[in-house]
Amino acid sequence: MFTYVIRRILMLVPVLFGVSVLIFLVMRIIPGDVAQTILGTDATPEALQQLREDFGLNLPLHIQYFNWMSGVLTLDFGESMRTGKEILPDILSRFTVTFELTLISALIAWIIAIPMGIIAAMKRNSNTDFGVRIVSLLGVSFPNFALATIIILVLALVFSYSPPVGYVGFFEDPFKNLEIMIIPAIVMGTSMAGAVMRMTRSSVLEILMQDFIRTIRAKGAKERVVIFQHALKNAMIPILTIIGLQVGTLLGGAVIVEQIFSLPGLGQLVLTAINQRDFMVVQGSVLFIAFIFVLVNLLIDILYAYIDPRISYK
Amino acid sequence: MFKKQYMYVLFIALILLLAACSNESSETEEGNDTTTETENESEESVSEETASDVEQVIKIANDQEPAGLDPHKTPAASSIRVYSKIYEGLVTFDENMEVEGQLAESWEQPDDTTYLFNLIEGVQFHNGREMTAEDVKYSFERILDEETASHIASYFAGIESIEVLGDYQVQFKLAEPDATFLSNLTHSGAVIVPQEVVEENGDLQQVAVGTGPFVFEEWVPDNSVTLTKNENYYLDGIPKLNRIEYYTMLEEASRLSAIRTGEIDMTTVNAQSAELLSGQEGVEIKDYQSLEYSYVGFNVEHEILSDVKVRQALSLATNRQEIVDIAWKGEGLVTGPIAPSMADWSIDVEAHELYSNDVDKAKELLAEAGYADGFDITITTASSYPDMVDTAQLLQQQWKEIGVNAEIQQVEWGEYIDIWSNTSADILVGRNGSGSDPDRAMNYFFHTEGSANVWNFSSDEYDTLVEEARRTIDLDARKEIYVEAQNLLLELSPNLFMVSPKNYVAVRDSVVDYVPYAHSTEDLDEVFKK
Repeated sequence: MFTYVIRRILMLVPVLFGVSVLIFLVMRIIPGDVAQTILGTDATPEALQQLREDFGLNLPLHIQYFNWMSGVLTLDFGESMRTGKEILPDILSRFTVTFELTLISALIAWIIAIPMGIIAAMKRNSNTDFGVRIVSLLGVSFPNFALATIIILVLALVFSYSPPVGYVGFFEDPFKNLEIMIIPAIVMGTSMAGAVMRMTRSSVLEILMQDFIRTIRAKGAKERVVIFQHALKNAMIPILTIIGLQVGTLLGGAVIVEQIFSLPGLGQLVLTAINQRDFMVVQGSVLFIAFIFVLVNLLIDILYAYIDPRISYK
Repeated sequence: MFKKQYMYVLFIALILLLAACSNESSETEEGNDTTTETENESEESVSEETASDVEQVIKIANDQEPAGLDPHKTPAASSIRVYSKIYEGLVTFDENMEVEGQLAESWEQPDDTTYLFNLIEGVQFHNGREMTAEDVKYSFERILDEETASHIASYFAGIESIEVLGDYQVQFKLAEPDATFLSNLTHSGAVIVPQEVVEENGDLQQVAVGTGPFVFEEWVPDNSVTLTKNENYYLDGIPKLNRIEYYTMLEEASRLSAIRTGEIDMTTVNAQSAELLSGQEGVEIKDYQSLEYSYVGFNVEHEILSDVKVRQALSLATNRQEIVDIAWKGEGLVTGPIAPSMADWSIDVEAHELYSNDVDKAKELLAEAGYADGFDITITTASSYPDMVDTAQLLQQQWKEIGVNAEIQQVEWGEYIDIWSNTSADILVGRNGSGSDPDRAMNYFFHTEGSANVWNFSSDEYDTLVEEARRTIDLDARKEIYVEAQNLLLELSPNLFMVSPKNYVAVRDSVVDYVPYAHSTEDLDEVFKK
């Protein structure tokens, strides 16, 4: 197990290297010039040239990459081309917002999805089952941004309520923080719940049809025991996989939801940076997001082994 | 067996976590309800109170995150609205677009190329140091220094020397007479900054220390910018507000909902939203004619578009009023090269032949140019601006009538800027600001050497006119030259000038004395809350 984890962590290196090269090149290939974007239509050619030099954009590509990487390796992600702000502290502060949002959404999703998925599987083809399936399909297929906009409109027009403006951290003011977070979390949670619900249902269903379940039932075990001690445990692997992917993706920033609810998360940071062609910020954040994504999936793999003793890593 | 125990621990932990959280979320939902009620109550009681008891804090939703706070380096509108409260220039425009003093008490012009400014005495920067003539000299030298890479360097390229004549007197010498100099000084970037703050921080992107009515307090990225009252402001009784809080809210729907419920006091909105909000209790819509205008830019070196007859034909085939009615909901003015809100400078275009939408004449011109059957062409525009896309689509339809088949290419903003600066499109639909002086709209965009003349347009006759206008100090004579130059520009049609839109600001009715006008869209000096 230990060597497995070490090996996986070492595998991070080539993955992150690949991501860094890719994002570095992509940012330089896409059309759009950071100097022109910053200075706008009033810029003189001299001013544009000066800015490009300040950013080191006149250097050969491999030198630019080397300069960037040697910074990254010492945890110096450089400074934003737009605002001159240091990038890494900014990423980390955004990450706390995104992390909280992900956590609350995921909890909402699981609280809804796992019990409903199990019930649907137990009562297969009943009205309850159909109900759950329709709800989950809606959850999967209804776009986030539409749900978010509808909720905002209904709250404003019917209840004269809109979430407080201006983000505050959980530790500054927990109540205001949760008031700000709860609606975006519900929006994200419901769409996550759809997929988890479907996976739980089909996965539990599959297990329930296996021979060992029949054996357990034949022993006279109570249905509660059958479901929670035997079926769910075995059904957990695919559910965990999908949860891992969802959480990994969410931690990379929920661009649209963050934008609609004005949350200063990672997604918002990357989006603004892309629009402003702030290369350094985009590169740094994408690298960070890739790191988090790989890490979450590693955690899920380790969790597998705890949940299913048959899985062992050598 | 060992692993099984782990499993139980994990499972129990998970259940505990779930239980804890389900409590949490139900609590917050209850919490939600109570806060809503108290907020509503407090709102009601506020409206019954007198002005003096009301907290003088205004919350403004900013539709874009500021892109830095350095007034000498950042032209983004989201930045200007913040730093223009903190910094001041020598002079400014009043609501009639007349130059009036700001940090300069008075000024005189001993000869055509010399300007002498007398500064107000006793003005302090927010760090407590007195602002003097040395700061004026430093600020303009910083703008002109190539290392600064200032976006407004081109406005002041004509300055030959700046001389400090005393603590409160500074003299600018220009290389040649320049009628635009005073109005260029009103530019939001042409403000006075303290040298020591620049040197301490490298630049002013993250800090802001000026002489203005509001003091920079804090900028939390992608969240908020807070300004507080300058208690030592040199004008009595100004400002009236204690705090300005800007919140970055990218989404129009969120801004709308927040202004409806009173979470924010002020936000800019587009024409559609303005219509939605009209009649909403507690919200007022203020509008003003902007200095901007939309245009259709031609690459005049393009094989087909290089023929002036083709460009004139396209102008004739364009129904500008229809574009006002559809793309701008009827709220906007058909414009020439200088927007109508530039008071006396702009010409009346209604009567101009090329604005008559005469399709037959257009076909005739096209035939003369050798394109009797029309041609295929691409119109490029930015997808992020719905009005530009609408305009492009309307042009596509209108031009079909004379056989011109246009394909629309929508690009993202960063790419659009790239295409604009490299003239890599045949036809570009875009938007310009008329600036503070007609010289901007005329010289800068269309002179052969103009930095923003990306159209490859060149006319000796035109160049001579705008150069002369720049040198002509006498107002009436200058106006006459611009009338001639504008007519010539319409005739040569390197761009088609389309519509100058209205801008809209939604304001809660608790905000008193807020009047937006073209040059100062968000002057909060006299504003207070009741």
